[in-house]
Amino acid sequence: MKTTFTKKATGLTLIIVSLLLTGCSTNVTVTGDYPSALIQPLPYHVGLVLDESFTNYTFESKQEQDVTMTLGKSQTQLFDQIFSDMFVNSSTLETIAKATASKVDLVIVPHVEEVQLAMPFETRLNVFEVWVKYNLQVFNSEGEPVADWLMSAYGKTQTRFLKSEEEALDQATTAALRDAGVRLAIGFKRVPEIRDWIEQREKQKPLAQSGDQ
Amino acid sequence: MKKYRPLRIYPVFSSCFVALTLLSLTACSTSTVIDEYRVTNTHLNINDGERVVIMGRRHAGEYETEPEFIECIGNKLDTGGKLSVMPEQKFLDIFYPWFEPRMAPLKLKRMSRMLEKPLIADKIKALGIRYIVWVDGNTETTEKNGSFSCAIGIGGGGCFGFASWDKAATYEAIIWDLKKMDEQGRVKVETKGSSYLLAVGAPIPFIAKVQGHACEGIGDRLKGFFLQDATNDQPPESKEQP
Repeated sequence: MKTTFTKKATGLTLIIVSLLLTGCSTNVTVTGDYPSALIQPLPYHVGLVLDESFTNYTFESKQEQDVTMTLGKSQTQLFDQIFSDMFVNSSTLETIAKATASKVDLVIVPHVEEVQLAMPFETRLNVFEVWVKYNLQVFNSEGEPVADWLMSAYGKTQTRFLKSEEEALDQATTAALRDAGVRLAIGFKRVPEIRDWIEQREKQKPLAQSGDQ
Repeated sequence: MKKYRPLRIYPVFSSCFVALTLLSLTACSTSTVIDEYRVTNTHLNINDGERVVIMGRRHAGEYETEPEFIECIGNKLDTGGKLSVMPEQKFLDIFYPWFEPRMAPLKLKRMSRMLEKPLIADKIKALGIRYIVWVDGNTETTEKNGSFSCAIGIGGGGCFGFASWDKAATYEAIIWDLKKMDEQGRVKVETKGSSYLLAVGAPIPFIAKVQGHACEGIGDRLKGFFLQDATNDQPPESKEQP
């Protein structure tokens, strides 16, 4: 009788301790799926350099509540998708050095600059908010810098009954990544340095064509 | 020998039962007010192969129109016969990135400029999207009272207490005709309701379906814009604007 009671008590204590240990931390793996962009592709070959710091990116926050968000895989999927829609030809490169051999017109190296979260207990709003700031370094085929574009994206999701914090953060981050896709698809051509580069290429094209003849 | 009177437990149970019955009868009450504005008195024309999309507005910072609310209206409208509704997420994915919160047109002028792009216009035409219904608003908890607590032990667990909360749902739907590039009407719905949770051992919830009633109200009215026989379903509380 006593043994049964001890077993039950030990079991309950273990459950409570494990709940206390895991209860205060939030672990999220972003699982978003991103559609193709309905845009006119630019007539260039782009090389996308996605290094390990980007493809395995994990955000960690120790403020008030421990949050770990793995978004490397999801953002890699988004960038692959968007750049293949934005350009007629796109390749994924391991390093910038391989750009010359791949005969690309532009090389893009994205980095995650910053990730910020706002939880309902901080803002007193019923929304989970996520900001992701990227730095996109753009180089030409010779490896010379063309632009350094700081781009931020925002996503939010409303708190719902019976929805876990993990689920809410996953949705908010997916929304932020979708927004990053919007910024890339619409804003890339509008960056002054990139617009100038495109204009220059457009001017060179007829000259090159007449030179061929 | 002293004779003890047996504890009269039945009156306690019966009064609890009466209280619960009264509570269940009076609780969960909701009230709905619907305002409607129509450009014309005739029903909106929708040809074979033409479809409607119900979209939620998500540009505001402090709230977003709930996707499940949009889905609920879509289910109300999609009769499978004359009225065909394209799911919101499907539309958003097909037209990505043009209807994302950052890019979605807030006014018809912006929408017509968007349709100047052949890629978008051709897709709209190919999919037969005739009307976009923009729904803006949300459901929020306006007041919370009372408290209850639950405890669990080796021998079992239970809850004790009483809590109540009020919810308010405010939504406005605006119908855009993409063929005429014109606004065809508006429906505004306001639903309020109170929910209760009584916990004596097991928690007994009395939940007011505030969002559900708002969906029913707005869905019925929107259906009335498109289908002639749907106008009879309109709730009695509604009032019409000239």
